Amino acid sequence: MASYALRRLGTVLVILAVMSLLVFLATHALPASTAAMILGQYSTPETLAALEHKLGLDLPLWLQYWNWLRAMLHGDMGQSLVMERPVAPMLWDAFGRSAILALCAMAIVATVGVAMGVVAGVWRGRWPDHAVSIFAYLGIAVPEFYWGLVLILVFCSTFHLLPSSGIGNLSDGVGSYVSYLILPVITLTLTLLAHVSRLTRSSMAEQLDSMYVKVARARGLPEHVVIVRHALPNAMVPTITVLAQDFGFLIGGIVAIETVFAYPGLGRLLIFALQRQDLPLMQAAILTLTAVFCLANLGADLLYGIANPRIRHGGAVE
Amino acid sequence: MNDALLEIRNLTVRYPGTTAVRDVAFQLQPGEALGIVGESGSGKSSIAGAILKSLGASARIAGEIAFEGRDLLRLSRADHRAVLGRRIGAVFQDPFTALNPARRVGGQIAEPMVRHLGAEPAHAMQRAIVLLRDMGIHRAEEVAHAFPHQLSGGMKQRTLIAAALACEPSLLILDEPTTALDVTVEAQILRLLARLRQQKRVSLLFISHNLGVVRRLCDSVAVMYASQFVELGRVGDVLEQPAHPYSKGLLASRPSLRAASRGSRLSAIQGQMPSAPRPEAGCVFAARCPFAEPRCTGGEQSLILTAPGHAARCWKAKTLGDWPRLAVEGTDLGEFRPGNALVNTNRLRKSFTMRRGMAAWRPSLANRWPRFRYQPTQVAAVDGVSLTISPGEVLGLVGESGCGKSTLGRLALRLLNCTDGSVEFDGADVGRLSGTDLSAFRKQAQIVFQNVGSSLNPRLSVGEALERPLVLFGLAKPRERRQRVEELLEMVRLPASYRLRYPHQLSGGERQRVAIARALASEPRFVVCDEPVSALDVSVQAAIVNLLADLRDRFGLAYLFISHDLAVVAQISDRVAVMYRGRICETGTPAELLAAPRHPYTRLLLAAAADESPTAEPSADIGAGATGCTFASRCPRRLPSICDTTVPTLRPVTSAHAVACHLDPIAKQQCGTIATASIPP
Ligand code: SF4
Ligand code: SF4
Repeated sequence: MASYALRRLGTVLVILAVMSLLVFLATHALPASTAAMILGQYSTPETLAALEHKLGLDLPLWLQYWNWLRAMLHGDMGQSLVMERPVAPMLWDAFGRSAILALCAMAIVATVGVAMGVVAGVWRGRWPDHAVSIFAYLGIAVPEFYWGLVLILVFCSTFHLLPSSGIGNLSDGVGSYVSYLILPVITLTLTLLAHVSRLTRSSMAEQLDSMYVKVARARGLPEHVVIVRHALPNAMVPTITVLAQDFGFLIGGIVAIETVFAYPGLGRLLIFALQRQDLPLMQAAILTLTAVFCLANLGADLLYGIANPRIRHGGAVE
Repeated sequence: MNDALLEIRNLTVRYPGTTAVRDVAFQLQPGEALGIVGESGSGKSSIAGAILKSLGASARIAGEIAFEGRDLLRLSRADHRAVLGRRIGAVFQDPFTALNPARRVGGQIAEPMVRHLGAEPAHAMQRAIVLLRDMGIHRAEEVAHAFPHQLSGGMKQRTLIAAALACEPSLLILDEPTTALDVTVEAQILRLLARLRQQKRVSLLFISHNLGVVRRLCDSVAVMYASQFVELGRVGDVLEQPAHPYSKGLLASRPSLRAASRGSRLSAIQGQMPSAPRPEAGCVFAARCPFAEPRCTGGEQSLILTAPGHAARCWKAKTLGDWPRLAVEGTDLGEFRPGNALVNTNRLRKSFTMRRGMAAWRPSLANRWPRFRYQPTQVAAVDGVSLTISPGEVLGLVGESGCGKSTLGRLALRLLNCTDGSVEFDGADVGRLSGTDLSAFRKQAQIVFQNVGSSLNPRLSVGEALERPLVLFGLAKPRERRQRVEELLEMVRLPASYRLRYPHQLSGGERQRVAIARALASEPRFVVCDEPVSALDVSVQAAIVNLLADLRDRFGLAYLFISHDLAVVAQISDRVAVMYRGRICETGTPAELLAAPRHPYTRLLLAAAADESPTAEPSADIGAGATGCTFASRCPRRLPSICDTTVPTLRPVTSAHAVACHLDPIAKQQCGTIATASIPP
């Protein structure tokens, strides 16, 4: 297991290093240099050269990369060109708000989605199964921002039950804060719920048809023991991997959802940076998203290792 | 009233459209062992399923299953559950999937004790370890804490038996418990079961397709055919003097562990079991029975007593003679004299990389700093095999699963490329062929697989499947193809009308015939038969083996006949090679190998197949076998100083008999001088 974990960690570090290089190089592929962007219309060849020197843009490429990476690792993400403020605090605030959204959605997907899948798998071919199937097809067939718009229409425009955009303030009370989260979180979860419940259903059904379940029943174990203690742990192994992949999907979804609900998180910040060509902000946001994505995958791999005895306990006894 | 432990009366199991079990009745006394023998689809497993109530919702069960005085069919679910695991233990066919992969073995054995006997988990765990020790497992504690994937198949089956016996049940149901295991392991498990039966005084209901296996364990046996018991009696009586023609046929068609002459054929039962039998319209076996006469199909046959305690479902049973032997015997072709080699493998080696790419970077903590090293793991599936096959010769290749015999077959056909060594076909190096030469080779060297279900494309009709090679090799003009297809079908003794059928409309034996016809379409000279009969029922096996022998004689085919079944191999082969973990340990004629086996592994195989001597096999020793003799970890004769360090080479004992063992006295003498002379400086 330790060797497995170390290997996974190694993989993640390599991916992060490559990503940072790509993000850095992307900067250089842009038409205008950073210095030119800062100076804007006031740029003259002299001021440009002076600023490039000041920013270290005249150094060899690898040295620039190294300096940039070192600064990043020290938490210095540079200065936003458009907002003219340091990137780091802005980014962390947005990150925190997005994290709340993502974690709430993930928690719901992991519990409700799995529960729906298990119910459908156990009552295969009967009404709970059909209900989950219909829900899942709707969830998978329609893109999530569409559900976002539908929810806004129903709950905000028609019934005025919930706020349609922005973020609540904790000082206005928890209720108000939560009311801002409800719609984005629900929208985020719909597609994933469908996905996770379908998958859990099929892996649960497969486990319930397996030989060891037949054997467990032949030992006179009650059905709930067979389901919870025998089938479920095995059914969860593929589900855990998919939950992690879905977390990546969720990060993509957040960018769209934050835009629909005007929620000031990392996704919106990224869109803003892209629209305004704010390079340092863009780099930091992309790198943060990548890091989160990789770490989520690392977490999933480790969980998978823990759930799967083949990895947790390697070789043969005998 | 009687004191039977289990009494089944009028048991009938119906599924929509078919009846799996019809009017079955038998008694099992305390401590008795009853075997139920039948081929797949005969309904034998449905009897176990009815007792265990594991048949699924579509099954309709009628009759009575009285167990310890109560009718199991009338118990509530909860009451029935209290009987399962507590009073009745069950062990199934496939030990590889019967253990929960996510839980420790010990916990799975302890669980029924905690549920049924209310034992403390820790105490139950202790009991589980004791039970494992009872099953002949030496490192019981370690095994109890292991996960299923860490155990071998035989070990898994032992733990499953332990779990079934955990609550000391009075009845153990065994549904083909050794079918998925290698012969040597099967012999061990059967001995274990025989011992447990004595020690624990448990009754056995043993379900199997194999009469021989039943003989080793049971007191009485019921032969099942097409949903009915057709014969019932003491094991000795039924096996020595079978009364029902089906039992006679089954026994006659089993290849014995004897070398057969080239002209001899197995007695086979023609045809196949009806899928929807109608006993009310007469004997269900009539279509395949050589003794059939009009009266047989006049009405339903009932079980009649032929001797005390011996009954058969055949009105003629008392007067019948032996199963007719097929009369090919006279045309004895004499011993095969090999000519020039057709196929020649030269120090053939194939290794697979088990771990590569990212996974091959093994981290290690050297000097407290983590380091990564690239260490791909190589496993040699075939390791330096040199074999020769002459035109018209059948070389049998025996060995247990995973020994590399199928890989060797694929290497010989260049379906896999070898890592080292070479294959020569008709003098040409197969590895160097390309273009038209390669296609000419493909035409002449074909393969028949074990898995008849998946080796035929379900979307192609038989005719289309047989036309493919004709088109591929440009062998027949479009107008002649149909005629050629019909010829091919005739060769494998299928009616020409089968051209239009699809694989799912064929039985296992018929599918295998089509697969053979397809291999023959290109008029090959060499065919690799990779376990061609292993997936078939005994009554069908014999017919296929005979067919292969006939085709060999008719077209002068050479076969590499791969099988795990020594008896089948001995029946058809001119020479046999025994393979163990990638290496050939002994070669010789079937007569030599069966009468005077020299290699310890061959002896083990033979003893297991015949179950004569209690082969006390030493527990596997992990360290051994890595650098020296591959069999060292299981060898009772092993001499560590040489066996663990030096790989034994095949050395001749007689002109056609060679053995790879350091300690073989004759082989040592014969080659002593050569061996010392050829040691490299
Ligand atoms: S009843 Fe007739 S057909 Fe049936 S087994 Fe007896 S002899 Fe054969
Ligand atoms: S070489 Fe040694 S270990 Fe191998 S079979 Fe012979 S005696 Fe046994």
